[in-house]
Amino acid sequence: MNPVIQTDKLSKWYGNVLGLSDVSIKIETGITGLLGPNGAGKSTFMKLMTGQLKPSIGKVLIQGERARNNYTLFSRMGYCPEYDVFYDELTGWQFITGMLKLNHFSSPDVEKNARKAMEIVELMQDKDRVIRSYSRGMRQRLKFAQAIAHEPEILLLDEPLNGLDPLGRRKLIQLIKTYRDEGKLIIVSSHVLPEIEVLTNKIVLIHQGKIFAQGDIHYIRDLIENHPHMISIICSNRRKLASKFIKEEYVLKVEFGKVKNRVTIETNDRDKFFSSLPSVLRKNDIEVEEITSPDDNLQAVFDYIIGK
Amino acid sequence: MEHTETGRLKFYLTSIKQVFSFFFSLGKRARKTKAFYLLSFLPVLISFVIKFALIFSEHRDIQGIYIFTNIIMAFYLQFLILVLALFFGTSVCSEELEGKNLTYLVTRPIPKMSIILGKYAAYTLLTIFMTVIGVVISFVILNLSDLLDFSLYEILLKDIAVLSLGLMCYMAFFTFFGTFLKKSIMFGLIFSFGWENIIQYFPGSTQKFAIAHYLKSLLPASPSGRFAFLIFRLEPTSPVISVFMLFLITVVFLALACLLFSYKEYILDD
Repeated sequence: MNPVIQTDKLSKWYGNVLGLSDVSIKIETGITGLLGPNGAGKSTFMKLMTGQLKPSIGKVLIQGERARNNYTLFSRMGYCPEYDVFYDELTGWQFITGMLKLNHFSSPDVEKNARKAMEIVELMQDKDRVIRSYSRGMRQRLKFAQAIAHEPEILLLDEPLNGLDPLGRRKLIQLIKTYRDEGKLIIVSSHVLPEIEVLTNKIVLIHQGKIFAQGDIHYIRDLIENHPHMISIICSNRRKLASKFIKEEYVLKVEFGKVKNRVTIETNDRDKFFSSLPSVLRKNDIEVEEITSPDDNLQAVFDYIIGK
Repeated sequence: MEHTETGRLKFYLTSIKQVFSFFFSLGKRARKTKAFYLLSFLPVLISFVIKFALIFSEHRDIQGIYIFTNIIMAFYLQFLILVLALFFGTSVCSEELEGKNLTYLVTRPIPKMSIILGKYAAYTLLTIFMTVIGVVISFVILNLSDLLDFSLYEILLKDIAVLSLGLMCYMAFFTFFGTFLKKSIMFGLIFSFGWENIIQYFPGSTQKFAIAHYLKSLLPASPSGRFAFLIFRLEPTSPVISVFMLFLITVVFLALACLLFSYKEYILDD
């Protein structure tokens, strides 16, 4: 299969600051997850693919055509930006129809496509409300609607699940999968692994402007699994809890923080830890107020892998 | 998309039209527009106060058209059209950058130049409306007793035409400023109330570097009244050349703005 998107030694510098470095990649139809911590270069990559930025070195080809200053591509491409910005004085309907008119749709098609897109993102009931009055989740859905309204073959979604509630997130994930089943190319960026994991097993890990790893979800999972995890627990008896776990071979370190009743446990096997935690708590009659994972983010994983 | 010359031209014109109608409709709702409508209605209030004061004044013989001409000179030509053009012209590009909405426009199948031209046209028409409504109401208030004197309408139409030409030209200039500079308002203020107000009174050909020079050249030759100094002209250019120059300035700056906007890389700040 011919790649739909192809980049060759793509690099972008903002003055002295590196945005993206030496990215050569081929992306085919289906969903590709662009995963990386904040500031990794995901949005720069998206903007280079949409021609909004000029590559410092290298090139981007979309269906064999250059991306920069090639407006004809956008009848085939939909882009959902990361910014939560709109023309706030407009209603949702006016915004979507306005964007469709800019896509050169005829009046009946504007109406038809706008209705379809608004129905898909379930904003039809609120279509006549000004965008300023929309909630964060509604704004996120509206942003997605403008990307799909003209029925593009290629969808570039920059952090599309940000600000959505769990139900909205599930619906959008389902929707993105429907587009995949229609044979479209979809690139979804995120800094949250589970979000990408439920969408696709084709993942591109990006960090400090470089493609750090690329491939199947299992490979990425393996990298992450080996990474020691910190789990912080606020409970009724932290000393007892610590004494029960300290002897386990999968527990590397136990720390008592300044916060009252908080114990932080470092483990190299998160699954094992979490499977034994409920029985330990129950047997020792320990009540839990809060469980958090302070380093359960990609930045920590990347830092660990790079350090290794 | 058609690939013939005619097809391409039609596509460009349609793109401009779509951008125009989007921003004209958006511009009508914008808070900024409402605020500037208030400003443009200030002369209406002034006209009303003057008319009311004249009723109780000894100088009842002062003609309404005389006051009207002075308002055009003092308020509209030297202040309002400059302010409107500055804020609307620079915002053609800068409000898209500051609001980060540029992304929505540049990811549509429309040439970048159509974004500039369409939005410029929308905002120019809006500012012309703002100006003309105030001018007409002021005219009616001040000439209430002479409304059947049709010769006065000639003056009104001429003033509207000159102000519209001024807006068209200044808007193009400030549109270019907005695509070129980040702090375009500050430079625009220096240009409007520094350069334009000083250079037009310079003798010789130096005055021809001010847009105001060509606008004043289109107005009546004999100044009258208290604000006569504002229309003082050393060596007026002929009306035909003035109109030509105003159009030329408009075309040149719009072309530069389109060129710059098409090739410049705008990085939206995080």
